Amino acid sequence: MTTTMPPPPAQSQPQSNAPTAHPLEPSALTTLLSTTAPSTPLSASTIQILHNLQHQHLWTSLRVHDLHLPSPNPNPDSTTPNDPLYLISGIPPHHVYTHPDEQLFMLERGLRDEDVELDRMFVLPTVEGQSWSLRKMAGVFDSLPGGDDETSREVEGEKADKLREYYEYREKARVTREWGGKRMLLAMVDRQMGGDGTVVYYVVHDGAVKPRQN
Amino acid sequence: MDEPTLPIPISYIAGSYFLFSIDAVTYVRREHHICGVLSGTLPQIPQQNVFLGLPLKLMPEEARLLVEKGVACIVDEVKVQKDGMRSLMEEDRKKYLRELESQGQHAMRLQTDRKEQQREKALKKIEEKKAKARKAEQPPVADGPSEGSVVDLFANDQGSETSRRSSTVAAPYGTAMGVTPATSYPPLPYESSAEQRLALPEVPSSYPMFAHLHSEGYFLSPGLRFGCQYLAYPGDPLRFHSHFLGVSAEWDEEFDLMKIVAGGRLGTGVKKGFLIGGAEKTEGDAGDPSSVRTFSIEWGGM
Repeated sequence: MTTTMPPPPAQSQPQSNAPTAHPLEPSALTTLLSTTAPSTPLSASTIQILHNLQHQHLWTSLRVHDLHLPSPNPNPDSTTPNDPLYLISGIPPHHVYTHPDEQLFMLERGLRDEDVELDRMFVLPTVEGQSWSLRKMAGVFDSLPGGDDETSREVEGEKADKLREYYEYREKARVTREWGGKRMLLAMVDRQMGGDGTVVYYVVHDGAVKPRQN
Repeated sequence: MDEPTLPIPISYIAGSYFLFSIDAVTYVRREHHICGVLSGTLPQIPQQNVFLGLPLKLMPEEARLLVEKGVACIVDEVKVQKDGMRSLMEEDRKKYLRELESQGQHAMRLQTDRKEQQREKALKKIEEKKAKARKAEQPPVADGPSEGSVVDLFANDQGSETSRRSSTVAAPYGTAMGVTPATSYPPLPYESSAEQRLALPEVPSSYPMFAHLHSEGYFLSPGLRFGCQYLAYPGDPLRFHSHFLGVSAEWDEEFDLMKIVAGGRLGTGVKKGFLIGGAEKTEGDAGDPSSVRTFSIEWGGM
């Protein structure tokens, strides 16, 4: 899947930046942060979260996208320019989120989580203490792609029919938002004084989507 | 089921909105998904507040929504009472009191009738039991008709005596039960005059989100118990658990992201979603109240 997000990714994939050998051996993360090109506070935390996704949660084909939201116009008193935001996208090792109705649909057809192809998921990296607003949230969701087309999927095996039916229905559900609208993960890293570098992840949906039966 | 005449008067008393008629309460709940909160206690024992009754207290948002739908109107209850009492003639007053008394007598009669029936049923049961016991005793005693008849007579005698006594107790038709009507009409008029009506209720800035969720079919109730503004139920709260803990924010209101994490965690902890939303302000217009964006948040589980 290619993301069409203006402008094209500003950063190279960090995994290509192999940490160089160092006599005093700072942590892998520190090395990564200091060797990665432009260093704004937010880009550093973005890389930290990307690092966490890659090595702790085993996500693959991770990418960083620049995100330029339309500047909030009724804000003439603020002199700070609109900071660019970043988005991370990648493919998780297993499904992070399944809508309860989708789960039921799959269960009725004997489909299991592993049968369904994994989708690229977007992660919004944030830092504890960062200020946020509904406008920003809506801007991020509006810039997310609508989802890839299901027709190109190739399915085979004994469950092919069921899977095809599932993908077909999922396409419809995406339009009617029956299984929820756009969603992303909100990642928040604790980087303030005394922070332990924990990264927490929350699923954020566009619109009211009923909760899972946890 | 009684349909109340529209618009339903919502009584505005000391800064709160109340519904006093049980018909109105069931109607708005059934037809308009407005539940409110029951708030009436026994006047002498207000600390018994586990089960509350009429009147139903409405959130300003609920009152406003009903008014905007044309289902209800806000009336200044103090003014209504004062005006109504002033225009009430002595003749009307006496007639109303007589009516109340006859209602009370009717209630008393119904109650005593029921008591009577229950008593008779209980007596019949006792007699049946005795008869059974007698039958069980009879076979071994070959010729004990005299004894049996004595018991029988005795039982009969006792039964008739009690029923006689109870019928004398049931007699006091003169005494009536005290009837306290929940509403002040019939003596006062149901429909309020224009000068008794008040403007739309003042609502907090979260009203657009409230109206938006309500229009999507959710039942909303105050959310203090779960640490939020509104609890959103997918159906009647008596039948469903709530789905969301709702919190509203202004479109450009800056909030700490910790709010989302804390809310998401809190919601997931009680098997609900955390929902944050507000009226969208687009560049052109000054905020169309109909366009509300909401975001629901759950713990990612990783």
